[in-house]
Amino acid sequence: MRALGLSWTRLANLVPVLFGITLVSFVLIRLVPGDPATQILGNRYTPEAAEQIRNSLGLNDSILTQYGIFLRSAVTGSFGESYQYHRPVGEILVDRVGPSLLLVAVTAALCTLISLPLGVLAAVRRGGALDQGTRIFFTLGYALPAFLIGIVLILVFGLRLGWFPIGGYGTGFGQHLYHLVLPAVTLAIPFSTVLVRSLRASTINVLESDFVTIARLKGISGWTVLARHVLRNAIAPVAVVFGVNLAFLVGGTVVIENVFSIPGMGSLLVGAVATRDYPVVQAVSLVLAVFVLLVNVLTDVVHRLLDPRLAVAVTR
Amino acid sequence: MTPVPHTHDPGSVLRRLRLTGVTGLAAAALVLAACGGGGSSTTAPEASAPAATSEVDTLKIANGVAIDTLDPAENAANESIWLDQNIYARLVQTDPTGTKIVPDLASTWEQSADGLTWTFHLNPAAKFADGSPVTAADAAWSINRARALEGGWGFLITPVTSITATDPQTVVIKLKTKHAPLLADLAMYAYGILPQKAVEADKDFFSKTPYGAGPFKVTKLEPDSQLVLTRNDSYWGPKPKISTVEVSVVTNDNTRVLQLQGGQVDVIENPPGNLVKQLSANPKLKVDLFPSTRVDFLQVPLKSKPFEDVRVRQAVKAALDLDAMNTLAYQGNAVPANTFFPYKMLHWAESIPTPKPDLDKAKQLLTEAGFPNGFKTDLITVSGDAAGQAQAVVIKDDLAKIGIDVTIQSYEQSTAYTNERSGTNGLGLRYWTNDIIDPDEVATFGADIKGGANSFSSYWGDEATSKAINDARSETDEAKRGELYAQVQQTIADQAPFIPLAYAPFRYASGAWVNGFQVSPLGNYNDSLLSLTVGTH
Repeated sequence: MRALGLSWTRLANLVPVLFGITLVSFVLIRLVPGDPATQILGNRYTPEAAEQIRNSLGLNDSILTQYGIFLRSAVTGSFGESYQYHRPVGEILVDRVGPSLLLVAVTAALCTLISLPLGVLAAVRRGGALDQGTRIFFTLGYALPAFLIGIVLILVFGLRLGWFPIGGYGTGFGQHLYHLVLPAVTLAIPFSTVLVRSLRASTINVLESDFVTIARLKGISGWTVLARHVLRNAIAPVAVVFGVNLAFLVGGTVVIENVFSIPGMGSLLVGAVATRDYPVVQAVSLVLAVFVLLVNVLTDVVHRLLDPRLAVAVTR
Repeated sequence: MTPVPHTHDPGSVLRRLRLTGVTGLAAAALVLAACGGGGSSTTAPEASAPAATSEVDTLKIANGVAIDTLDPAENAANESIWLDQNIYARLVQTDPTGTKIVPDLASTWEQSADGLTWTFHLNPAAKFADGSPVTAADAAWSINRARALEGGWGFLITPVTSITATDPQTVVIKLKTKHAPLLADLAMYAYGILPQKAVEADKDFFSKTPYGAGPFKVTKLEPDSQLVLTRNDSYWGPKPKISTVEVSVVTNDNTRVLQLQGGQVDVIENPPGNLVKQLSANPKLKVDLFPSTRVDFLQVPLKSKPFEDVRVRQAVKAALDLDAMNTLAYQGNAVPANTFFPYKMLHWAESIPTPKPDLDKAKQLLTEAGFPNGFKTDLITVSGDAAGQAQAVVIKDDLAKIGIDVTIQSYEQSTAYTNERSGTNGLGLRYWTNDIIDPDEVATFGADIKGGANSFSSYWGDEATSKAINDARSETDEAKRGELYAQVQQTIADQAPFIPLAYAPFRYASGAWVNGFQVSPLGNYNDSLLSLTVGTH
């Protein structure tokens, strides 16, 4: 723990944050007008039936009692029963977490493959064709909304060329990966933009530092300098950008899962908010929050490992 | 969410930023709005006769809504209800035209002279998908189970006092009063017959691979992504020509259309109205419009001034141009509504004229009511419902002509419904769809103030109408029932506690390679899956 620059206090500090998040999502979804009983009954709404349903769902208890029940169910991992699906929310989460994690993982892998070479090359050949080309391409990619990129990719690679399936998730791991190519590319474009720009900036910074000049004077070849000295030092600030954006990527999946109809956490959350399925909204918010916080902690750890100066600063 | 640009401060700012990321995400998720689909169109195209065998043995359907559950007693989502019909047989069923009741598990039935005892005789050949025979005990248990469910469908058959199996092939239902809609009620998905032992033995029966005595059984179920139905070889009726039906859940309207264009699926539910022309123009695809029981109506807030005055309501009705609404909202494919009963349904009063706009009459009525210069009001609509938004624009425009200043308020579906229920928040756009072919349901919900739903939340009612609806429920002479229902429809047309606007069709699109896909007015397509064939494409 210590070696990783993580203290117990740092981890303990996450607990109130999680509490805060559960409380906020809990209260917010209840403040939004619209009543689960109304939603469940639809056309067959009668005040009596709605009252009966509210009673059986425990919505007439005090908000504190309800929150207590939710916390207890969260600890056991069942998260109560979904109003819409009539199943324990925990089971639904288990079904849904895989596709989302795989999508984030494939996206992250794609980003790394795209950004590392492009960012470094753009820095080394500053102002060259590649530098300008990536700048234009990624500025566009950054500016366009994700769902639009998604639809364009579907039109070109799904419908016109028929290389990839149009949405869905398939059966079996190979099929899952195949179905996730287009959505992952969609998410990777804006994500890579940030990475390429920041990697380019930090690489230029390092390239201009004294130790690189000295290394060059020593006669070490250009590629060795890049790989051994430059990249190692340039990557640390980029790792932080990567971590922060990985957390935001979770938000991006919400939209993309809907466009490509991937049965993940994002599409589950959108559906649950629309139908006022309180237990599902609360559980998904909590799981996403835990994921984001974990990524934050890991980002700090990786950053410290890459840049020992930070650990010293913190312990002082 | 936009990515965060690089920041050089690895400390506090960053951490604050990340926390906003988390809470911002939760907040953004909470204000996300749901989208309802629009609608469009009228008559079903001539069905081409299906071939003797199917070249491709799998039909792929893409629905826009996830499966909430396959427990027929618990269903709420229409898409799940339409799937139920393929899995569970009932005692009786509705025919494909949605106009009469025909045998299902019960091959014959009779009622006693006083109409209080009904006896159903099961088809001895009927088997569940696991090969075990369907017994009267299974049937009685299933109906009783659905009837007892809180918030379920028991209220439809309140006159029923007991449902018993008198021998393995006979089910006897006893009533306290005569109940004309009984057969229509029993044909409902909720009263599907289940294998009692299997359901009782496994509390997760409905979330694994549920089966009944229908033509298909479930072999794979992922409620929010896909369902696989496989032909039930124990089915006693005609064998379907296709062996598998794959239903996928694709919530994004555009994605469903693209999947159909790419040939990835064969049939899609609810293609967006604005794409109907484009799809129809493609020779490889067809748009199918099937008559439905959907009735769009304008809810009027009777509990607030000035709408408690019948003349104001009649003025609003006289100002509306239903044809313009049909053109703008449904590309002319709906039918302007003349009564609040679904189009061409049992006892729909064809003789009631469809309202035509008459601005002079409308102005005169408003003046008589004391509003010569009109007034201001709100109109609640569902955001993302393209057809509803189009109707709202026409309503605003029409009412402006008689001095009523309408402010359109768009809410997400759940919020819109909640705001409309109280009957005090301005005008609202809503719609009704039937669950049974009998008009008892729509009449009770729409016009009987004691029926539980406050006459579609209008809070309007009168003794004579409530009595007519109750009398019609226990009247077994269909001609007399028709008279009673015509009277109810005329009263609603005159009193205008709400204003029926349009009869909208069900909209599907399919590949030209699919032969014989048909949807009944209740939305069921299970009958067509028995004879449907899929060609190579």
